[in-house]
Order: sequence, then structure tokens, then C-alpha cells
Amino acid sequence: MAPSAQTVMHVRVRLFAGLRETVGWSETQVELGPAADSALATSPTPAQLWRQLGLQPGDPPAGVRVAINQQFASWDTALSGGDELAFLPPISGG
Amino acid sequence: MVSIQLHTEPFEPLHALACWQAALVELPAGQPAAESHFLGRVRATTANGERLTALELEHYPGMTEAQLQALAAAAAQRHGATAVLVQHRVGRVLPGETIVLVAVAADRRGPAQRCGQELLEALKHEAPFWKREWSGGVGTWITGNTPL
Repeated sequence: MAPSAQTVMHVRVRLFAGLRETVGWSETQVELGPAADSALATSPTPAQLWRQLGLQPGDPPAGVRVAINQQFASWDTALSGGDELAFLPPISGG
Repeated sequence: MVSIQLHTEPFEPLHALACWQAALVELPAGQPAAESHFLGRVRATTANGERLTALELEHYPGMTEAQLQALAAAAAQRHGATAVLVQHRVGRVLPGETIVLVAVAADRRGPAQRCGQELLEALKHEAPFWKREWSGGVGTWITGNTPL
């Protein structure tokens, strides 16, 4: 069933490692439009949410990658309600 | 056959290898003729050359395992490998402890070695792990990988 205009949609945003500690939180819920008090579009991109959340630097940094629902994605992918968005600082495994 | 495991506590890599090899014997086509193994340990110094107290490994639960599985399956398919084993530590790891084990079984040494090397490099750059070096009570996040 398609969500009605009154349905409140959220995106769960997660941060990891040094990025999490720099920003000071590990996850938050972002409410998407068309809720009256939401400035966000119904399908924002990770780049838009990065700026909306006041993450620094203002333009998404080259070393940070994006995952949507635990899969790598691009900064201009349209998000949907219920998505889990993660901003991933430079990886250093192995 | 892809086997992935994350360990929150120290693990014995040779025991893990022995268990994996015992499973290879049971394959319908029998044990592959070639194997490559890579075992990585935590070095005793930081990137700045100071004494390392411990290495902290953070990961993204769910995504890390899925990425390892996908990377291993893709590498195995590309090289025609029969079986791949990846075991990786998370959490606090002490100098000298094993942090990663990658093993590949194939019909010949070339695919086994090439697949193992490619997979190791892939997991260093494409699996969400983050390292923090602890030294003298100070933790420093590492933003890159050591040279090949």
C-alpha cells in the first residue's frame, strides 16, 4: 500500500568510527516531507541529508562513502522512507 | 564454497585452517590440489613508529559480513577458485594477534594465489572496517592502508 500524504517517513542515518566521534552522535532519524515541519524533500539524496544535518565539511568529502541499506551507493541516490543511510569514513580493514 | 567469520576474541588461525581443510576433503570433487594462505598479525608499532598498546577494529554489523561474502564469492568466480575462507577480528586486538586469515583452494596454484591476493586487497578497501591505534592512552583512527 502506498504511503498517504499524512504518513511520516523517516530515514535512519548512521555514522561510524572517526566521523561518529567528530560529530558526536552515532545515529539519528530524519523525518522526510511532506510533513509540515520538514524542510526535506520526500526523496532526498545522501548529499542533501549530509548538508541538512550540518555535517562538515559542507560539501561531502571525497574520502567518505555512502551506504544505503548496507550496500554502497552514490551520493545522488534518491532515498525512501525506511531506508538506512550510513556515512562511512575511509575504510582500513585487513 | 565461501566461509566468512568475524571473531570478537583471539582465534587460532592454524586450527581454523585445519577445520576448513577438513571440509574441503568432503567436497564431491575431492580436495582441491592447490591452496594459498595469508595470515595477517597486528604489528607492534603504530604508523608513527610508537609502541602500540592495541588495535581497535570497528565494523558495520551486517554490512561487513555481507561485503566479505560478496567480495569472496566474486573473487572466487573470477579466478575459478573452489573455496574461500575469510576470518577477521573485530574489537580490541593486541600486537602479535592474528587480525585476518584468507585462504583459497583451487585446482592450480595460479588461481589460488591470484584470488587470495585480490581478495585481500579488496577486503582492505571494500569491507567496512575501521582501525584505531592505541598508544600511550591515546587512540588515533587510521584513514588508510599500509603499502602493499
